[in-house]
Amino acid sequence: MPQASNHPRTRRMTIVAQDPAITDETGAILTTEVEIPAERLAPGPCGYRVHVIDYDSSTRTLYEPAVLDGTGGAPLFVKPSNDEIREDPRFHAQNVYAIVMRILGRFEFALGRRVSWDFQSHQIKVAPHAFADANAFYSERDEALLFGYFPGRGGKPVFACLSHDVVAHETTHALVDGLRGRFTDPSSPDQAGFHEGFSDVVALLSVFALRDVVKAVLDRSLAGGSRRGAAPDGLVHEKFLTPEALRQSVLLGLAKQMGEEMSAVRGQALRRSVKLQPEDIQADPEAFREPHRRGEILVAAMLNAFVEVWTTRLESLGRIQKKYFDRERIAEEAAAAADYLLTMSIRALDYTPPVHLEFGDFLSALLTADHEIRPDDSKYRYRDSLRRSFARFSIAPASQGGAEEGIWLPSQGDVNYECVHFDSMTRDRDEVFRFIWENRQGLGLFEGAYTRVETLRPCLRIAPDGFALRETVIECTQLLELQASELAKLRIRKPDGMSEDTPVRLQGGITLIFDERGGMKLAISNQLAGTPETEERQSRRLQDLWDFGHFNKGASLNRRFSVQHRLRAMGSPRQIQEEW
Amino acid sequence: MASKRPTSVTIRSYQVGFGDCFLLSFHYGEKEGAEARHVLIDFGSTGKPPKSGLSMKEIASLIREACTPAGGGKPKLHAVVATHRHADHISGFGGTSGEIIAGLQPDLVLQPWTEDPDAAPDAREPTAAAASAKGFVARLDDMHAVSTHVLAEVATLRGLKTVSAQLGFLGEDNLKNLDAIRTLQDMPCRHVYASYGVRSGLEKVLPGVRVRVLGPPTLKQSAAIQKQREEDAAEFWHLQAQAVRPPAGDGAVAGPLFPGAAQASSEDLPFQTRWFLPRLDALRGEQLLEIVRILDTAMNNTSLILLFEVGKKKLLFPGDAQIENWLYALTAAKDSGKVQKLLAEVDVYKVGHHGSLNATPKTLWNLFRKKSETAGSGRLQSLLSTMSGKHGSTDRNTEVPRRKLVDALEKETTLHSTQKLTRKSQPCNEVRIPV
Repeated sequence: MPQASNHPRTRRMTIVAQDPAITDETGAILTTEVEIPAERLAPGPCGYRVHVIDYDSSTRTLYEPAVLDGTGGAPLFVKPSNDEIREDPRFHAQNVYAIVMRILGRFEFALGRRVSWDFQSHQIKVAPHAFADANAFYSERDEALLFGYFPGRGGKPVFACLSHDVVAHETTHALVDGLRGRFTDPSSPDQAGFHEGFSDVVALLSVFALRDVVKAVLDRSLAGGSRRGAAPDGLVHEKFLTPEALRQSVLLGLAKQMGEEMSAVRGQALRRSVKLQPEDIQADPEAFREPHRRGEILVAAMLNAFVEVWTTRLESLGRIQKKYFDRERIAEEAAAAADYLLTMSIRALDYTPPVHLEFGDFLSALLTADHEIRPDDSKYRYRDSLRRSFARFSIAPASQGGAEEGIWLPSQGDVNYECVHFDSMTRDRDEVFRFIWENRQGLGLFEGAYTRVETLRPCLRIAPDGFALRETVIECTQLLELQASELAKLRIRKPDGMSEDTPVRLQGGITLIFDERGGMKLAISNQLAGTPETEERQSRRLQDLWDFGHFNKGASLNRRFSVQHRLRAMGSPRQIQEEW
Repeated sequence: MASKRPTSVTIRSYQVGFGDCFLLSFHYGEKEGAEARHVLIDFGSTGKPPKSGLSMKEIASLIREACTPAGGGKPKLHAVVATHRHADHISGFGGTSGEIIAGLQPDLVLQPWTEDPDAAPDAREPTAAAASAKGFVARLDDMHAVSTHVLAEVATLRGLKTVSAQLGFLGEDNLKNLDAIRTLQDMPCRHVYASYGVRSGLEKVLPGVRVRVLGPPTLKQSAAIQKQREEDAAEFWHLQAQAVRPPAGDGAVAGPLFPGAAQASSEDLPFQTRWFLPRLDALRGEQLLEIVRILDTAMNNTSLILLFEVGKKKLLFPGDAQIENWLYALTAAKDSGKVQKLLAEVDVYKVGHHGSLNATPKTLWNLFRKKSETAGSGRLQSLLSTMSGKHGSTDRNTEVPRRKLVDALEKETTLHSTQKLTRKSQPCNEVRIPV
């Protein structure tokens, strides 16, 4: 009989809490320990999902692979000094490895299953000093996360690989690409902005989920003001804890500090997101059709919801003294709120349609993902806060909702389960296709389009109360290739100026969620064509794509993350309509 | 002077390969011996055609000849316009060819406001000065530094022929042409550094001619278009200038970032991941090209855009201005409606940026009223100075000149392209326009 294993499931590793610009009161760079899956690491470090290869293409230097497991399996750096953090490439290797694994671990925990990369290999390559350039990006073609370095204001190098949020952001691009490969396809401004916006959301929430960072930012942003004045030690006056005060102090404070060193990599996007007000969008709606600006709206809506939930949690926590809250608990509540919203956000990906994502779809997915596992929202009112915050930015849920406002409606109508075996449906794509084929009309699929079951993923999700939810998530996509002249047959408008013989691809898709008894719970669809609403949406999308130059030769090269990030840092959108 | 107003204009576009060199001669009377006044707009090249290319010195001599009064006498150039600082527009002002031009003793040198020595930064504080003229000019210097470093690194790129060739071309064009800049600065005459809406100074040199400056906008003017993005761009170039580290010299790459750290050879990597290193090398080349392309566009957008009104004729010389420069005149300026009406009547159009995809904005093109599919006296004439195969690529639809644009120019205008000058005996296209 096999013995119970003594091998621990997780291990702790030290990382730079945010980036080297954030220090404690002694001037030491703020570090923190994170919990990541335990594994037997090869030099690199090289683990089962991540392989750090420290090659610098600007100087053609390959550094010796770092051996992170010291004697007894202890990590190489437990309490690294400032010099080690800045100057030891082995610590940089540890830092990127641990952050990528942490984000991967967060995704796997939230989704209740393993998450694959969008390429054949199981191991993503990570180059912590890939080039001397103020850039960092995920490259699917190279199966890699690449981080640059550049001299900072004092002349000392600044390393993108030491910025928690930059590493988390790039890792999220790679993970979302693995989960929803079609989200990088040309579609609406919303979908184009989603990858950047969502990666920022995950990066920021994963930083706020670290208590040490929140405490440091809270201290720094309140220090020098009146906090210390009358407040007893370790307490914070309630006037600093209103949503508006926290937005100004903690959110903007963190965005500014992040901007101190890394603005060349990400521009002022974070600061702009935090400051963004709905009136800004109303004043210049055209500017917010541009993908980067569009992504900022998603970040703003999520961060405002975060602050609202945080203050709700503080209210229910109660005051230590009249008008004063405990600083430690304030940070803990921020971390708990951020962690929960992070789980919700990641889980929401499973409840999005596989193609043509719009922010309203994502909001419905967020609400549904949480409702499925935690129907009662009365305690901290996460979903209320999200609905309100998104509404302020004019984002309405794609679904009107039934049992609760905004959640996806349960699938209705007759579903034919004959001839299929649920047991097989949790692992066999052909069996799923048979189910879909039998129900193609009820599911609103377009007859004659190339139809494919892209993924089939059984999951086990754990609720905050320990309740387990078993689901199977299925992604099915449809593709139709035709000439622009044929669009009229589908009642889809040809963009002005597009020639009749332009090849056009139309996509549609459906996400099916099955419960543990084999019943279809949800069918989240973005149909290819066939209804007046779908025809209108497809017409609008084609016009947008035409306006933004996606039908131009070489346009796919401009969709690469390296180019997107550079444009974002530079803040220079192209004027495609004016080109030849 | 026989006439107070010009009676005709001769425009010569010299075969400089990839570059611009236009000599505008304004004739004050058509009788022999009538006075002419000459304005040279740009004089640069970054690539000569193998058979028909004259040297810059030879072209300078031809310019001197053209500036010599018909009955003999001292040759005289009345004004020099250097639209922007790219080598393909100013390289000829350096060296011997530059001395020949300086010897023609122009009365005026006209350049964009970004070339004003008073705007040159004395301290490098880009963030504080991001929105100031000095900050902007410092950014241009940062771009030159990036180009210098990129060129040095290009020499070390292995096995990336196409990328290296493009990098070499763009990098060289963006180097600081100190010699040419100095010659221009040292010309003992009036210097005007112009921006949208200001007086060019050419009116004094060219009686009876009105010259409107339609670009570049000042920082304050362009803020109307760019909004809060200025700070990002300034920061970006300042850091980028330092990020692309200068190599050790003699074609060697820069020293390692962590000299004390242990290094390995690619054989130390597991077999299955050795492909990764050459892949990263290739990626590095692509990244450098991406940076230099952005930089090239930014420099182009400091170009002067000049509209000459001579009698009833309008001649448009926009240098290499791309859409970002044009946007102010076309859409954001208070008098953009009036400007649009003027542009509609253009008779001669110097095709922007050698015919690239975004230097003849569609909005501008659609304004031109005198386009016509049939030849005739009132038809729009276009002047194109370019050379295929130097800039951009057909794979990305970025080739210069852009085929689609050239087709439209051929169909709807009378096109005079330097590409048709294939013999040394044909040093320039010459167009005479009665006004």
